[in-house]
Amino acid sequence: MAAPSIENGAAPSVAHRRRLPGAVILGGTILITMILAAVMANWLAPYPFDQLHVRDRLTGPSLAYWAGTDEYGRDVLSRTLFGSRLSLFLGFAATSIALLLGVPIGLVAGYYRGLVDELLMRALDVVMSFPSLLFVMLILAITPPGLVKTALVIGILFAPPVARVTRSVTLDVMTEEFIVAARARGERAAYILLREILPNVWPAIVVEGSLRVAFAILLGAVLSFLGFGVQPPAADWGLMISTSRDFVDVAPWMAITPGLAMSLTVIAVSLLGDGLREHLDPKFHSRR
Amino acid sequence: MKPLLEVRNLTVRYATNGAAVTAVRDVSFELAPGRAIGLVGESGSGKSTIAGAILDLLHGDAAISGEILFEGVDLCRLNSKQRRKLLGRRIGTVFQDPFTALNPAMTIGRHIAEPLIHHLGLSPKAALDRACHLLADMSVPRVRDVAAAYPHQLSGGMRQRSLLAAALACEPPLLILDEPTTALDVTVEAQILALLADLRRHKDVSLLFISHSLGVVREVCDDLVVLYASQAVEQGLAGEVLVRPKHPYTKGLLASLPRVVVSGRASRLPSIPGQMANVAQPPQGCFFESRCPYAEARCKTEGQALLDIASQRRVRCWKAADVGDWPVVAKGAAATPRFSRSDALVNVVDLRKTYRTSHGLDAIRVDFSGQGPALSYRPKSVNAVDGISLSISPGEVLGLVGESGCGKSTLGRVVLRLLRASAGSVEFDGVPILHQPEKALRHFRRSAQIVFQNADSSLNPRLSVGEAIERPLALFNLVPTADRRRRMEALLDMVRLPRSYQTRYPHQLSGGEKQRVAIARALATEPKFIVCDEPVSALDVSVQAVIVNLMADLRDEFNLAYLFISHDLAVVAQISDRIAVMYKGGLCEIGVTAEILRRPRHPYTKALLSSLSVVDSENESRSGRLRLFGSIEAEDEQISGCRYQARCPYKVGAICETVRPPLRQISQGHSAACHLESVPANGVAPSYANPPRS
Repeated sequence: MAAPSIENGAAPSVAHRRRLPGAVILGGTILITMILAAVMANWLAPYPFDQLHVRDRLTGPSLAYWAGTDEYGRDVLSRTLFGSRLSLFLGFAATSIALLLGVPIGLVAGYYRGLVDELLMRALDVVMSFPSLLFVMLILAITPPGLVKTALVIGILFAPPVARVTRSVTLDVMTEEFIVAARARGERAAYILLREILPNVWPAIVVEGSLRVAFAILLGAVLSFLGFGVQPPAADWGLMISTSRDFVDVAPWMAITPGLAMSLTVIAVSLLGDGLREHLDPKFHSRR
Repeated sequence: MKPLLEVRNLTVRYATNGAAVTAVRDVSFELAPGRAIGLVGESGSGKSTIAGAILDLLHGDAAISGEILFEGVDLCRLNSKQRRKLLGRRIGTVFQDPFTALNPAMTIGRHIAEPLIHHLGLSPKAALDRACHLLADMSVPRVRDVAAAYPHQLSGGMRQRSLLAAALACEPPLLILDEPTTALDVTVEAQILALLADLRRHKDVSLLFISHSLGVVREVCDDLVVLYASQAVEQGLAGEVLVRPKHPYTKGLLASLPRVVVSGRASRLPSIPGQMANVAQPPQGCFFESRCPYAEARCKTEGQALLDIASQRRVRCWKAADVGDWPVVAKGAAATPRFSRSDALVNVVDLRKTYRTSHGLDAIRVDFSGQGPALSYRPKSVNAVDGISLSISPGEVLGLVGESGCGKSTLGRVVLRLLRASAGSVEFDGVPILHQPEKALRHFRRSAQIVFQNADSSLNPRLSVGEAIERPLALFNLVPTADRRRRMEALLDMVRLPRSYQTRYPHQLSGGEKQRVAIARALATEPKFIVCDEPVSALDVSVQAVIVNLMADLRDEFNLAYLFISHDLAVVAQISDRIAVMYKGGLCEIGVTAEILRRPRHPYTKALLSSLSVVDSENESRSGRLRLFGSIEAEDEQISGCRYQARCPYKVGAICETVRPPLRQISQGHSAACHLESVPANGVAPSYANPPRS
């Protein structure tokens, strides 16, 4: 429909562009708070994460134990705080690795197309066709488990979907005439990839990346749940939720706090991702 | 007679983020049974919104006031269920793009049968029979085959015919057409317009015809409403309005249409300066005041009313009676320079570009007809550019015309080595460029640039105007870093954009402004040669004239050579020194502009010339014009004879099917590829004087 286009000489000035959208501020605040809490867990947590209070096993939330205690009488809040170090590290480290691997592969495949594209994409298909959980478990089962290694494995596993998204958006951008114009000036491939294509692919990467953070934390939780991730007595959110399963009828609070922390992280990251996508798009700045 | 459709004081407001935008303001018109009314205006004038209001297709945030009486019933008072019943049954609709309007998963027959089953309750079989009849009415050949075909198997013209058939299936008294020919080639457009005229004669149907093209409206409509920035500025009989326009805007619009006339190098199109008034913050006085050459102090403050100046004739200008002709740009005395082949800047020899349409696994065929299956490998290919030779001198403009799919854009890109040529050679400034390594092309890349049709896609949405223009300066290190900004501002001046635009992003610019930025970016490298790939086709008429003039000015100022590619012969004629006509990958005719326009030799050139609409002549009849049949279809088979023989009304005989006519020189600087040129003029049947089959 011909909604009237705003084609006047006095289009809004660009001087005041770059005002952060609310979503970025909200998501960023939550995330920074959580990261600070994780870093300062030593001071914030009321008890050490592995201190046993045998008398107060499985007690509900109280003034002494704000979020209750688990089956050994350990403070759930303290364990959640310490666990956030592991979970947040896993989420962001794995995603960074996935982006570092996936984005260049996707850009190159989409830019050169042809044989390069075919080879890269088929190689990724091989990685993707492996059941992801099985793959991680296999690696972690035959070598001693460790947080960095878990992050690395999940990162590698998440690279193909990132590469696919990047490639499909790159293919789209490649049909635009400003790419032809750049080639008509004799621009190098590196310039076209980094300056002309990447900024246009970035929004999709940001959204995909924010999803990946959430997925990585969840996958880490599943691994801990299955016993391949963090080893007791240390606990990440996933492990806490997994052990709470036997006591869910008598002590539901054991799962609630780590569960809330996990949801909050996922929500914050997607708010941030969505807001950043909007923020990066110049179109959103004048439509106010 | 009681009008079939009557729109009274229609106003449509959109509430967008608190600011109300009035897209249509107090528009009234009526359409009597059997008549055709045209709504014309440029983009943003509100013409499609009116159709949307009638069809109930506007978004929920549109507030509609006024009355839309259809067969005496006010549509605005009906609920959406009652209105839906009218659509398709009593009101048929055809939209602009036949390529997206058909569902690719449904056969054409089902598209047409659907409304018959839904509205008239016909059985599927009876509906399909009706569908075939309807297709036959639309002069579709082989109706059974077409009805069984899927949309992708048909050409654009055929699809538009099918859509017309579907819209007319329930014999609605009103047909609304929203830019129905805009996406089609000129020759196909002419066929569809002829079909519409025919339908009006034989079926009892009234048309509401929306278009940006005055020529098309002239041909189809009895009455006309000219819209500008949400208001009707002039209405009346189409012939009256277009031949004797009263409102300055209508005059300007008509004046800025390029004519197929031989114009010297110094001539410029009259144009309407400035931009359409912002409908979100409309001016206090006349909406056209800022662009009007006749404006007075009073126009700025007083709103204009739509006044009756004669019966059936209304104009929104209080000066309408005293306004003279639209001012014509004074011509300078620049003489057309003479170009000679010897000093060619660009020299293209026998250039070919072949696309493989199927190869590898796709091309393997299994044949079961013999004893046992037989494997064969049959790769297919299309010659997009098929042995073209031409040359362009410094400062010369070569126009390249042809219908979509003829290979003209491919030619432009192969010449710039943006696509790899299959064979042939291209020399630029005496240096062959096709086989050099990319690194050795620096000089060529700097001296040869390109400007595209779609300014939306040719500017990176993430780069500001300033960044986009500065990039070539940095790439070729043309000016010291400290002066880059000044140079960029000078380039903005050259394309007549305010310097403040450097901080803007492409989405904040109008179509014409974007095209100026694209031109400035191309100019930044100080090129000698620019391939202009349909640079004005996506622009409104008034903006188109401004850009064509700008390009002519820049050509004179910097002695630029253009390869000016367009489907629009009138635009090409306006700016070109020579014109080349292309058909199915080959050149039909090439020659000096005056020769091509006055003495076209190739039947295809003649067909192109006669399919152009004449807007403001008293005589609107198209009789005696050469109509072109069929359309370009993708051929995978190699044609052995003349490329044009399938559509040519002057076919000489077997020779056209077997021997490809070479490009023969007819006179100084004019060549054509047609057997008619070689047949002795002793009166053997073929001659241009014969009436074409029609």
